[in-house]
Amino acid sequence: MSASATSIKGRAFGDRVLLALVILLSIIMIAPVLWVIGLSLKENAELMANPNSVFHAPYTLKNYINTIGTSSVFRWVLNSIIVSGGLTLGTLILSSLAGYGFARLNFPGRNILFVIVLFGLAVPEQAVLVARHQIFSMLKFHNTYHGLILPGLSASFGVFLMTQYFRAIPKELDEAAMLDNASRFRIFWKVLLPLTVPAQATLGIFTFLGAWNDYFWPLISATKKDMFTLTVGMASTQTNFAQSEGIGFLMAQAVFAGAPILIIYLFFQKYIVTAVSGAAVR
Amino acid sequence: MTANIEIRNVSKQFGAMTVLDDLSLSIKAREFVVFLGPSGCGKSTLLRMIAGLETVDGGEIAINGERIDHLPPGKRGIAMVFQSYALYPHMTVRDNMAFGLDNIGVARDVVDARIAEAARILEMPHLLERKPGQLSGGQRQRVAIGRAIVKEPKAFLFDEPLSNLDAALRTRTRIELAQLHQRLQSTMIFVTHDQVEAMTLADRIVVMNNRRIEQIGSPMEIYERPATKFVAGFVGAPAMNFVDVAIDRSGEVITVTFANSTVIATDIASNQVVDGAHTFGVRSEDVRIAPTGQGNVNGKVDVLERLGERTLVYTRLSDGQIVVASDAGNSRVAVGDTVGLAFDGRKSHLFNETGRAWHARRA
Repeated sequence: MSASATSIKGRAFGDRVLLALVILLSIIMIAPVLWVIGLSLKENAELMANPNSVFHAPYTLKNYINTIGTSSVFRWVLNSIIVSGGLTLGTLILSSLAGYGFARLNFPGRNILFVIVLFGLAVPEQAVLVARHQIFSMLKFHNTYHGLILPGLSASFGVFLMTQYFRAIPKELDEAAMLDNASRFRIFWKVLLPLTVPAQATLGIFTFLGAWNDYFWPLISATKKDMFTLTVGMASTQTNFAQSEGIGFLMAQAVFAGAPILIIYLFFQKYIVTAVSGAAVR
Repeated sequence: MTANIEIRNVSKQFGAMTVLDDLSLSIKAREFVVFLGPSGCGKSTLLRMIAGLETVDGGEIAINGERIDHLPPGKRGIAMVFQSYALYPHMTVRDNMAFGLDNIGVARDVVDARIAEAARILEMPHLLERKPGQLSGGQRQRVAIGRAIVKEPKAFLFDEPLSNLDAALRTRTRIELAQLHQRLQSTMIFVTHDQVEAMTLADRIVVMNNRRIEQIGSPMEIYERPATKFVAGFVGAPAMNFVDVAIDRSGEVITVTFANSTVIATDIASNQVVDGAHTFGVRSEDVRIAPTGQGNVNGKVDVLERLGERTLVYTRLSDGQIVVASDAGNSRVAVGDTVGLAFDGRKSHLFNETGRAWHARRA
């Protein structure tokens, strides 16, 4: 047998091992999701009597009907969409403008200011929480959308990412546009910003997912039930250790809660994979 | 539209470093001027100052008599082709060409007409809807030139635009640029460190070195009567041969004496040259290969470069100095041979310690 034939055979075996690993990991990832869906389709009383009844009929849509009828989950989903969307949009706008400024404009104190922004990456949210809570109380920002959105807009990572991305764009493009009689804003808007779309996609996806999954700040800022985000609302429904609301009911809420992010994932799958793999490579 | 460009006493500093020092130059309308010099000599900086991409620290620049060094780049009425082409990657070729015109509010039908005309001149109508990433290096080059043409500028500036092309494409594009200049009859300034590009394209060459202009002249003036030793060594391939000599200026013309006591009569007038250490300069085509002992000096052949129509013979003299001679394409000379070298003193040059040159009277 030739060396190349051995090599091809070896590669085929390696591919099979990889495939087996991928299937195994997929099962590990998907099993809890299927379990949640299964639980949501079972009577609460049946689950209390036998948790393993999830594996066999009868199944029912009663929990979903109860969720639609009694739960505030739709309100919380709406709140999460508004907060996550607003935060993502605001972060993209501010980070792009700041990134352009740091990368392209010469102004006094630029380097110091950039270092201060980078320090923001090192400061944990918990360290500033009390002060922020006091300020927001004084300004009556709690239980408002802007109260939930504003803290996230100081996105050090976003500014850093966009600054580095703008710096990587050749300055000759700016110069060509200057010779083409474009104003500074037009150069930013028409020439440079479109070239940062990959970075915008990465930043947008991470920001949205981060805001969607955030629990800590909404727990403090949103104390009224109709201002809960999804994470806080979901947690609030588990009012006791015995989960007397019913596991099936809670799981039906969880399915509703997970649906929007799943839809977003399906639409932006390509960008998310690129963003995550790009971040891993970096 | 075309323009004459006046550069008066211009200087430029980057921090404590002076990049251009009190430099003056006058470029006539419709002239093709090449800034030639080694990397770091300031030629690109000067071009960028004309474009408005670098500030002028001293002196002034005027186009058609009107001072422009205080104007932003877009208001100077000039177009520039960058070394990297600097095409907008997310725009189609058409949008790249239209961008500058849209910025000054040119009517859409005029924009379309200009793009069509430029595309016709550059033979690229089929490329208009493509993006730069879908083009070859040569095609991008054309688009960059097209983007400049549609603006109908007073002057074109080229910053080493051929350096990213392969050898064959570079030669072809060079010819096309010369044809474009003849067709457009515009003022063009071209920056390069490639003396072949300079010699083939320029009406006049501005040779720059070490923050200042060494010489301004037509290609053949630069080649045949270099003002300094630097110019003599920089322009021409291979570079001019330099041999340290002693001079005798007792006669009407200078005679030079080599280290081996060989004496060669030049055609350089004695009354212009002062005493001191001198270097004798002669181009390879003015050094003939002769049988051993029958030239002015003997040299041992180190390297042969066969170029087809001629053979360059790199020889080493007894004192270690290198002299390159030009022989026939089918030269029988072999590496390791000892050959005679016959210098044509009538086409020789002499340089003093400061690099100043004197030339044969008929050169």
